Amino acid sequence: MAGLAFQRVPVLEQREVRPGVFVLRVGGEFRAKPGQFFILRAWEFYPLLGRPMSVFDLSPDSLSFAYAVRGEGTRALSRLRPGDELWLLGPLGNGWTRAEGRVALVGGGIGLAPLLLTAKVFGPPMDIFLGFRDEPFLLEEFSPFARLYVASERGGPPEVFRGLVTEMFEPRGYAAVYACGPHAMLEALYRKCRQVGVPLYVSLEERLACGIGACLGCTIFTKSGPARLCREGPVFPADEVFGGA
Amino acid sequence: MEPDLSVKLRKIRLSTPVMPAAGTFGFGEEYAELYELSSSLGALVTKTLTLRPRSGNPQPRLWETPCGLLNSIGIENPGLPAFVEEIFPCLLKFRLPIVVSVYGESAEEYGELARRIPREAAGVELNLSCPNLPGKPSVLSAEEIFSRVAAAREAWPGELWAKISPEGDWLPAAQAAEEAGADAVVATNTFRGMALDLERRAPVFPNLVAGLSGPAIKPLGLRIVYELCRVLRIPVIGCGGIRSGRDALEFILAGAHAVQVGTANFFDPLAIPRILREMRDWLKKEGLRGLEEVRGCAQKK
Repeated sequence: MAGLAFQRVPVLEQREVRPGVFVLRVGGEFRAKPGQFFILRAWEFYPLLGRPMSVFDLSPDSLSFAYAVRGEGTRALSRLRPGDELWLLGPLGNGWTRAEGRVALVGGGIGLAPLLLTAKVFGPPMDIFLGFRDEPFLLEEFSPFARLYVASERGGPPEVFRGLVTEMFEPRGYAAVYACGPHAMLEALYRKCRQVGVPLYVSLEERLACGIGACLGCTIFTKSGPARLCREGPVFPADEVFGGA
Repeated sequence: MEPDLSVKLRKIRLSTPVMPAAGTFGFGEEYAELYELSSSLGALVTKTLTLRPRSGNPQPRLWETPCGLLNSIGIENPGLPAFVEEIFPCLLKFRLPIVVSVYGESAEEYGELARRIPREAAGVELNLSCPNLPGKPSVLSAEEIFSRVAAAREAWPGELWAKISPEGDWLPAAQAAEEAGADAVVATNTFRGMALDLERRAPVFPNLVAGLSGPAIKPLGLRIVYELCRVLRIPVIGCGGIRSGRDALEFILAGAHAVQVGTANFFDPLAIPRILREMRDWLKKEGLRGLEEVRGCAQKK
């Protein structure tokens, strides 16, 4: 985990891309691999812990996070404005590594967050599949990097598939699939990918405390034994997670 | 003049009074990526080890509360034999006193664990109070504490600490540890707490209870340390919700020799060096040469 640091950084931009979904950009020179995350903390006392967030985008002088307001921590982060400061711990976790050949990125809802930097770094040949409960968001960020397929449970314009991203997506023909989203979505994807023998890598989420591998609060049981989500993960081969003991 | 923060315990000397609480710092490797451990830690207290490897409890293992954290880790660890073989030799590079935390299910097991501790270890901490093992009590009677500490005492000649629960009859429990030969009492472990999930209408933790730590428990731990220090002859090591140099100094004023920092490491990975710096700054500001000048001074005569 080269370059791990705990530092105070300035907020450059806070953008509400739709009600309750934000992109927060902070200033500084950072290094991060696609799929890695940071812990953000912008308060002294409450809530107790910082909040883990995967890297959405990276530039030579800034780092950004895409997140949905879910509780008090994300609400407090959403109130940050340019000029405010926050504490940042990272980069954390393993991130994902590109396979050779045509790959697919699959995101569900705010699970799209780790996929933008991934798309930028991985490059073609690649397709991106994003699923939403209702109105899609942040599509314009992804469209320059690959052919984009969008699903929404509520439907939308003709180019939007009405239903689940897992119903729209067909893994056959891809060298590997990289996915982040709700657990049920990842599990459904795993079944589809296993049927056609395509490797799937999933980015998982658990409550975590230290973020660096010391507290063992985020341990999950994988096929090869206990694994710290913050250290051995958050990216795992799906077979390790869903493949049974 | 720089104040002297070193601490003399019964059999060892610590260069600083601040150390991590067992289970919050792993084996030190992760925090060593962020700062030089040897200039801040009085000792490295390891994650608790058991005789056999344990994979720990299923998710969820954590639940945040206002100013606190419930945990149900369940002593996930590689087992003492693997630790001695593979991990302990790597810890010597930190050039720090290593205190090995162990948990057993009986007096015999504590004896067996203590026998297997490498002699290069600076000390042994007996975890006598983990609230997260399904079917195992976290609050032991004075008799149970006595037999466990006595068994470890027989097998380990060096510095020996007994970490007790803040619940039940902790005063007789601490006295039993002292009578059985402990060199210090660590007070305290977490309080048992609970969280319920309204939507699922069910407990959050499969084991029902979990250990509460963090700033929420500081006044509770402080009171127990204060009362133990009135009665015990052996040193007390204070632990419970310490997040600042002032918190740590309050425990010293109550009579503690040293302190352990746990949950604060999670929300501030540099908590230990910061706490040490804040303690030093306060002593300087007050014109004090060392901790002896204030230790126990808040005790009512």
